[in-house]
Amino acid sequence: MTRCIHLLLALAGTLLALPAMAAPLDRPALIAQLCGNAGAMGEAGAALLALAAAGSAEDRGWAAPLAKALIDKKLACDDTGAVLGDVDAVTRAPRTAPDTARTPVLSLKNRAVFETADAALALRSAPDTDQRAAALRTLERRPGSLPEGLLDAAAASESDAGLRTQIETLAQTAALNSPDMAKRINAINRIAETPSRRALTQISALKADPAYASDAGFRQAVDRAVGRIDRGIAIGDTLAALYNGLSFASILFMAAIGLAIIFGLMGVINLAQGELIMIGAYVTYLVQEALRHLVPALLDWYLVLAIPFAFLVTAAIGIALEASLLRHLYKRPLMSLLATWAVSLFLVNLVRVIFGTQNLQFETPFYVTGGVPVIGDFIFTWNRMFAIAFAVATLAITWAVVRKTPLGLNIRAVTQNRDMAACIGIPTRRVDMMAFGLGSGLAGLAGLALSPIYSVNPQMGQNFIIDSFMVVVLGGVGTIAGTVVAALGIGQINVLIEPLWGAVAAKVIVLLMIIGFLQWRPEGLFAVKGCRK
Amino acid sequence: MTRWTQDRAFLALIAVLVIVAVAMPVLEPSRYLTNAIGQLAAFAVLALSLDLIWGYLGILSLGHGLFFAIGGYVIAMHLLKHSFEVTGTVPDFLQFMGWKDFPFYWAGFGSFPYALVIAIAVTTLIAGVFGYVSFRSRVGGVYFAIITQALVYVAMLLMFRNDTGFGGNNGMTGFAVVFGWPIGTTGMITAMAVVSVLALAGVLLACRMLVGSRFGALMLATRDDETRLRTLGYETLRLKLAVWCLSALIAMLAGMLYVPQVGIINPRVLSPELSLEIAVWVAIGGRGHLVGAVIGALLVNAVKFWLSSAAPEVWPFILSGLIVLVVLVFPNGLVDLAKFRLTRPMGAKRLATEIGEAR
Repeated sequence: MTRCIHLLLALAGTLLALPAMAAPLDRPALIAQLCGNAGAMGEAGAALLALAAAGSAEDRGWAAPLAKALIDKKLACDDTGAVLGDVDAVTRAPRTAPDTARTPVLSLKNRAVFETADAALALRSAPDTDQRAAALRTLERRPGSLPEGLLDAAAASESDAGLRTQIETLAQTAALNSPDMAKRINAINRIAETPSRRALTQISALKADPAYASDAGFRQAVDRAVGRIDRGIAIGDTLAALYNGLSFASILFMAAIGLAIIFGLMGVINLAQGELIMIGAYVTYLVQEALRHLVPALLDWYLVLAIPFAFLVTAAIGIALEASLLRHLYKRPLMSLLATWAVSLFLVNLVRVIFGTQNLQFETPFYVTGGVPVIGDFIFTWNRMFAIAFAVATLAITWAVVRKTPLGLNIRAVTQNRDMAACIGIPTRRVDMMAFGLGSGLAGLAGLALSPIYSVNPQMGQNFIIDSFMVVVLGGVGTIAGTVVAALGIGQINVLIEPLWGAVAAKVIVLLMIIGFLQWRPEGLFAVKGCRK
Repeated sequence: MTRWTQDRAFLALIAVLVIVAVAMPVLEPSRYLTNAIGQLAAFAVLALSLDLIWGYLGILSLGHGLFFAIGGYVIAMHLLKHSFEVTGTVPDFLQFMGWKDFPFYWAGFGSFPYALVIAIAVTTLIAGVFGYVSFRSRVGGVYFAIITQALVYVAMLLMFRNDTGFGGNNGMTGFAVVFGWPIGTTGMITAMAVVSVLALAGVLLACRMLVGSRFGALMLATRDDETRLRTLGYETLRLKLAVWCLSALIAMLAGMLYVPQVGIINPRVLSPELSLEIAVWVAIGGRGHLVGAVIGALLVNAVKFWLSSAAPEVWPFILSGLIVLVVLVFPNGLVDLAKFRLTRPMGAKRLATEIGEAR
């Protein structure tokens, strides 16, 4: 927001400044100066530099090769003017230089001016981003010798966002050290408009400036800017904490929702849930590799294309698990706990044997790369946004399945009272199987959502299982609302405590809070009556 | 009748343990074997502690490694402090942190009775507080299992920190002397193994007496129908708390026996996996049977010892297969196997009652 205003101001400033400065350029006179003595060449260099800042686009295009030609000794002067390679320097009509032509040589002092002018012209009119970036690097070395308005004009016309930011930063630095006090104060205010820790260091350094002690206006401006930046950083940090908490909560939610459905329905804690998450991530990896070999053009979209695969593979594993193992154990939830642990052990080692223990390499598609700086040091990063959006979509779909479909109706009925549901003809066995498949498939989706953020290896499941248990215990048996609220709560608490005392303390405090909470409500936030095992 | 058959297996096991304890110094098996027997005995004590609370009270703890670790860490602190007093070298982990001396809370650990008192006090305190708040709000079953697992996990994260003064992620190692004798000699290894086997026999005997008593009957009644027992006027909270603390203390004892024999303790003993494995030993041996728990722990760990050197990548598959087999085919663990084998001549009906009772 502030950035946009900033840009508009810069643009407006340039537009106002241009007509006043633009005077018709006397091209033959300039060429004559270039061919003149050292003093004349110096004037020509300054003229070129001024041209880069305030000349018309046409003039700048015309002048662009001149400085470079002079540095490289490619300008041949004769009586009628000069020849640039094989064209006339003034008219750019084809012409060959006579044998009598001489090549002007730059003095050491003029060379610096011409290098600056060359870079300034390149920054304004080079077609290639890399060339402009190189020109900017040259200019960064001599911020003091740049003509006024050059950087603002360059920033306004720059198309590459990253380069534009660099140009603006240089413009600020140049203005900050300008001899003109009004300009300095103006620059301070402009830096304060985009608060960040770097801006704070930049401005705070000015307190050591002699002007800070002598000039009241300057001191006031610096103090005001520091206060403003401090506020901006504080707001940014708060937003960043909230955003990180939200993204952590969405990952917790993804990991826990499948667990919650299975737990609520059958009282079975699925200790293999973490491994189903891991398998979801591995399926995503396989889809990525398959795309790389078969349709490389679609490689960037593997995260989207893998969604059905991740869901179906893990759901199939879940259904197989239920049908072969867990259906024998419904009356013995503690034994099913051990059985699912055996499954998790098996899956971890199977994956370890097949794929090895190293982390998988994932492409980062453009839609999860980078982010938008908002305020202070808070960057709205796309990979976290991806996880949040994915969790919200999963929440919506799960909610719709559980609330709006016949399967969901059956699941809710069996969750509330298994025997009664069986009595009125609900096929509880099949509902169990489908629900287990749904819960497992959701774990697979969690694995997919995690793969651009976390490292993917056979051990990854174990990192989530305890956290997702906590969510389920806190949220209460198998309610979506409970899972959402518990995930949000635990996610935010974690993120709030972590910067203060570290990740371990956050885990300890969350556990103690949950134990304390269970004193008050032993069945969690949203307990469904009559299904506690 | 039931008691007689069970006692027969029990007496046989006690006899075997005593014979092993006597035979080891006489026959002098290899150091490796002696050491392995001692470690197995420590694990069996650990399994007994869990069987007491899970098999006889129906409370599954997936965090018993916590109490095991308390015993292990305290004995390690004692051994290091003791070694320091004899040899004068500060342990590596303190040098690594740049500390010249032990932190203040290590004071007094050079004395074994003090260390023992601290271990008992800490175990009772943690088990007591945690058990009280859990049992009071009637957190049970799967909920309790999950919370205990989270507890041990959090403890692991804490101990992984290097600035706690407990060895951090490297743990504690380099014990030189036990009660004034050098630790690595064959005689010391044998002595520690004998002590462990005798301790196992003693704990087994004590547990047997406990579950055979009137108190044991109350434990079974609590497991089978706590509500009814409460209605009848029994205070089950106190009973559960007492058994829970006792179980924790036995687990702590197992840790004290185990650590001097392996010569190292690190936060891995606090990983949720180890605590889950304890439940697996008990389930495989047969929960609700003290003898079963001991045999389960000995068997699983013996196979693990053998396979983790012979074919380390196969072991997890074997373990998971074993668990699934036991859970599906032998719901009462190896005790079910005994039903087919040992007791066929005795009449199936009587045995059916016995098994049913112990469930």
